[in-house]
Amino acid sequence: MMKNFKNYIYILAATAFVVACKPNFNSNPAPSKGAADFTRYISVGNSLTAGYADGGLYLTGQLNSYPSIIASQMTSVNSSLTFSQPLFDAAQANGSGYQKLTGFDASGNPVITAVAAAAVRGSINLGPPIGTVPLFTKYTGAGLDNYGVPGIKLNDIDNPGYGNANPYMERMFTAASPTITTSYLDFVTAKSFTFFTNWLGNNDALGYATSGGAGDVLTDKTVFNTKYNTLITRLTATGAKGACATIPDVTTIPYFNTVTVGAILAAVQKANPTVQALVINKKATTTPTDNTYGPAAATASDLIVLTFPTSLIGTTSQANPYPYGLTPQNPIESKYVLDANEVAIVKDYVSSYNATIKSVAAAKGLAVFDAFTFLTNIKANGLLINGVSLNSNYISGGIFSLDGVHLTPRGYSIVANQFISAINSTYGSSIPLANVSAYNGVIFP
Amino acid sequence: MAIALFPALAMAQGFQVNLHGQKQVGMGNTGTGLVQDGASVLFNPGAVAMLPENYVQAGISPLFFNSAFQSTGSNQTFNSKTQVATPFTAYAVWGPKAAKWKIALGVYTPFGGLTDWGTDWVGKYSLESLNLKAINFQPTISYKLTDNISLGIGYVYGYGSVDLTKAIPLSSSSNPDGQAELKGSGHGNGWNAGIYVNASKKLSFGLSYRSEVDTKIDNGDATFTVPASLSTSFPSPNHFSAGIPLPSTTSFGVGYKPNDKWTTAFDFNYVHWSVYQSLDFTYEKTTATLQNTHSPRNYKDAYDFRVGAEYKACKEMALRFGGGYATTAVQDGYVTPEAPDANRVYGTLGLGYKVAKGLDLDLAFEYEHLMSRTQTNIETNLSGTFKTDVVIPGISLSYHW
Repeated sequence: MMKNFKNYIYILAATAFVVACKPNFNSNPAPSKGAADFTRYISVGNSLTAGYADGGLYLTGQLNSYPSIIASQMTSVNSSLTFSQPLFDAAQANGSGYQKLTGFDASGNPVITAVAAAAVRGSINLGPPIGTVPLFTKYTGAGLDNYGVPGIKLNDIDNPGYGNANPYMERMFTAASPTITTSYLDFVTAKSFTFFTNWLGNNDALGYATSGGAGDVLTDKTVFNTKYNTLITRLTATGAKGACATIPDVTTIPYFNTVTVGAILAAVQKANPTVQALVINKKATTTPTDNTYGPAAATASDLIVLTFPTSLIGTTSQANPYPYGLTPQNPIESKYVLDANEVAIVKDYVSSYNATIKSVAAAKGLAVFDAFTFLTNIKANGLLINGVSLNSNYISGGIFSLDGVHLTPRGYSIVANQFISAINSTYGSSIPLANVSAYNGVIFP
Repeated sequence: MAIALFPALAMAQGFQVNLHGQKQVGMGNTGTGLVQDGASVLFNPGAVAMLPENYVQAGISPLFFNSAFQSTGSNQTFNSKTQVATPFTAYAVWGPKAAKWKIALGVYTPFGGLTDWGTDWVGKYSLESLNLKAINFQPTISYKLTDNISLGIGYVYGYGSVDLTKAIPLSSSSNPDGQAELKGSGHGNGWNAGIYVNASKKLSFGLSYRSEVDTKIDNGDATFTVPASLSTSFPSPNHFSAGIPLPSTTSFGVGYKPNDKWTTAFDFNYVHWSVYQSLDFTYEKTTATLQNTHSPRNYKDAYDFRVGAEYKACKEMALRFGGGYATTAVQDGYVTPEAPDANRVYGTLGLGYKVAKGLDLDLAFEYEHLMSRTQTNIETNLSGTFKTDVVIPGISLSYHW
């Protein structure tokens, strides 16, 4: 029995040894920086870069910004990399305020509630045409690497006074509005850096689009080209490498595809079957400079904005006794509709902007994340990642946040991975991709 | 908001448990063409009548399943949590000394799986954990036609249970994900028959067939935990039904005893996995979000080769060793985290010790290595590399008279 017992012990020992040996992937090639240098990474851009979500900039969104996800993945190839963002502190985590989903009404429509701002330190009247703007709590942290400024256009980057009017930029400065005299371009390039991502240009088209072509203007194509060249020349002046992104087709975002002409009409016809069409105030031509508008029957090609108050339909007022949106005498106002002609104009401009972005980036050998193609594909085909079926639908799609323009943490993680893939393929680096499953979509009550 | 829920319940070669007797495990899981002990009830009912004695035996094989996954383009490795599955066997064989027949009962675990990847791994929307058990009860009768040829047949009552959890991509402020749990049990019927031939004193053959057991799970519990505002989309409690076709296995075995000290064996098994074409879940209550599911599996038949040997070191002790190679039933594009299957090789060691007259203690040890497999699943797009190793010690006691 003793001999047997000894053998038994050997088997037990062998078992313990092998059980302890879990399969591993140590043999895989180690992450490498390739031809790029990730000593200091900065991110240049607008609200998407800042981590803006749900109609506001708040701490949770900032912590899930795509540049912060990229930087965190970059630490695999540069363990000493730090990446500072202008975070709102925990006591003012709600930042500028944002929107929250608080339920669904009886017909299944989302009920969205505003969360009050927490980081407003006051306001300032800059006089016409800007007027009064809020002032947010200053960012006082030591470092600053994420230069995402909600609202900024490419057109604004060389304006030395811009920081006075944009509270998100103002809070990054020590100086207070209206004494800021440093342009965005000078600000982001003041401290040396070795790598950048740049996703500017969206607002040059989006501002026009989200206001239904009524509240903002498109940046001129030539101006866009000139300023993009200026921007990239400055960003690469000291040898930094980087990645740029194209501008998505604005018609792929849920802001323009959720409240549709068809859906409104169907609801109206339920109550009043004789109604044939909605009437909108439509731009007469696709000539940008032609500002002729007139009533026209709405079609599926006319895009209603997400924020359109549908309860207006059919209402009358003392000034206008005709039912709103149903008669040529009282059409849906232009600010609520990106009509088919305006869509054509925006698409044309975005196409021109993207041609500029791609050619300038190519001339400097920069990586390009083609957000235009990526989001167009998602709109057409959806996106299946790790067993999660994502698409461009409002709320249920999982990618876009409650404002229908900006992204959820999951959406931003997908964008981060697209940037990383573009960087890896251009510079031969192997920054590991982020785990999309670890980031959430819309938060449901 | 249709959220595809496809609780995937794949069973690969990985879910076929081949630990059916410690003597046989020690010899590379061979046993179809040999008469060793009561395990013949499973390996070849035809060989039962050839057993020189009556048997009562039971054994257990704690199974340590270690799997690791790394997403394509990532450097983050996720390991499955170490869970110990416990396949077991129990056999009883009885017949009058002089009779040509024997009756027997086998209780064993032909299929099973125990995988737990946890709730925060990259593939959580495919699967978090799975506990699949199948237990067969097999009354058997075997008859010796001549001194050299015997037949046997058994009826199989199969009991199966499943407990599967996965994350649902719906977040609330308190939970990063919703959770789905499908838990149920069912049963099916089948049979097991074999023929055994002594070609000479040294050489023997066996051929056996274990039929498919189509296990139906009816009225299983489906529990969904989702944000409160979406609870009407996921009626809970809910019930589900599903069918699991546990495939048939055809085995051919050869035994060869060159002398008194040595016994060698070879087995070939063909597993008819192609019966598993799709996995369909039907829910008692469905909504626009929670739909019945149909998931293609498209398994192909799989086979394995096994060899083993036993050396009788002395009257009391036998040393055994063996090994084998098994092909996977899972085609490219269909590999899932339930059993990240791949072609596999394994080696075994065994030790038999005669504790007292009529009482055998058998120990065995098996190590399986699954070939690393890099896959993008067609249904989920979960893309990455699976690596899996399995470690299985085992012990059994047999009493024979």
